[in-house]
Amino acid sequence: MSRATIWRCWLALVLLLTATTASAFVPLGAFNLVVSLVIAITKALIVLLFFMELSASRALVRAFAAAGFFWLLIMIVLTGADYWHRTDVRAPIDMTTSY
Amino acid sequence: MSDRTLGFQYATPAQQREASTLGMWTFLATEVLFLGTLVAAYLNYRIYHPHEIIEAARHTKIVLGTANTGVLLTSSACMAMAVRSVDDQARRSAVWWLLATALLGILFVAIKGYEYFEEFQEHLVPALNFDFTRYGPVGELFFTWYFAVTGFHAVHLVIGIVIVLIAAGLLAADRFPDTMSVRIIGLYWHFVDIVWIFLFPLIYLAGRAH
Repeated sequence: MSRATIWRCWLALVLLLTATTASAFVPLGAFNLVVSLVIAITKALIVLLFFMELSASRALVRAFAAAGFFWLLIMIVLTGADYWHRTDVRAPIDMTTSY
Repeated sequence: MSDRTLGFQYATPAQQREASTLGMWTFLATEVLFLGTLVAAYLNYRIYHPHEIIEAARHTKIVLGTANTGVLLTSSACMAMAVRSVDDQARRSAVWWLLATALLGILFVAIKGYEYFEEFQEHLVPALNFDFTRYGPVGELFFTWYFAVTGFHAVHLVIGIVIVLIAAGLLAADRFPDTMSVRIIGLYWHFVDIVWIFLFPLIYLAGRAH
């Protein structure tokens, strides 16, 4: 990776950081979280593809890199399938507040 | 540096490089799941107690958090420059870029420590001095999570700083062993950066517009 690419990536990352912090102060309701997560994913992709050289790596290396995130997605979705849809039997974390 | 001695089990240097790269990515996949459980926990808290979590998150220090994100992103760029320098056989400049990376890492830990100090003064530390009547039970839940996740991240970063400093020292003394690789160390460093990229909006940006 060339020096110019490294510093262009750095500039993009800093601009995205500025954008995400600024967006947090704009009232968008639930979309604040969505916007900040989309920006976070964009920043992570810049680091993964360029700094971690996945853009120049073989498919095998990319598959290894993607596997961890794919499994994380399974974990979040399966956990959510339980917690986010409980109605009659409440989850233990409900005990922390009284309704 | 780039002409590393070939291990007996490898046919070509390229194969050896790919094997160590795949090894590091496998380790990082386990790290994704380890730190990912904490992100999953946060998402559940946020869905169960949307208002209380946001209310608690507003007590975090957004200026220090944003500055620290900038510090860590810059450290990653320095790490990429160190790898570039190694590829160019520029040993001296690789040492300097590694030192810059480690120094920015140390700066991050220092800012984080100051943040913890401010939070201690505001009675936000669960198990030590948490003000239950002021911040409530979900506030305690959030800050328990916050100290766990930022603590684990800081431990990872400190390990990274030590490894980067060792690499810089060995490189400066021209005794960099064939079993080490600045590129592989870089993968770990950038991963710790990525973890922070996701923690930053979850911790600091929640509920700022309300």
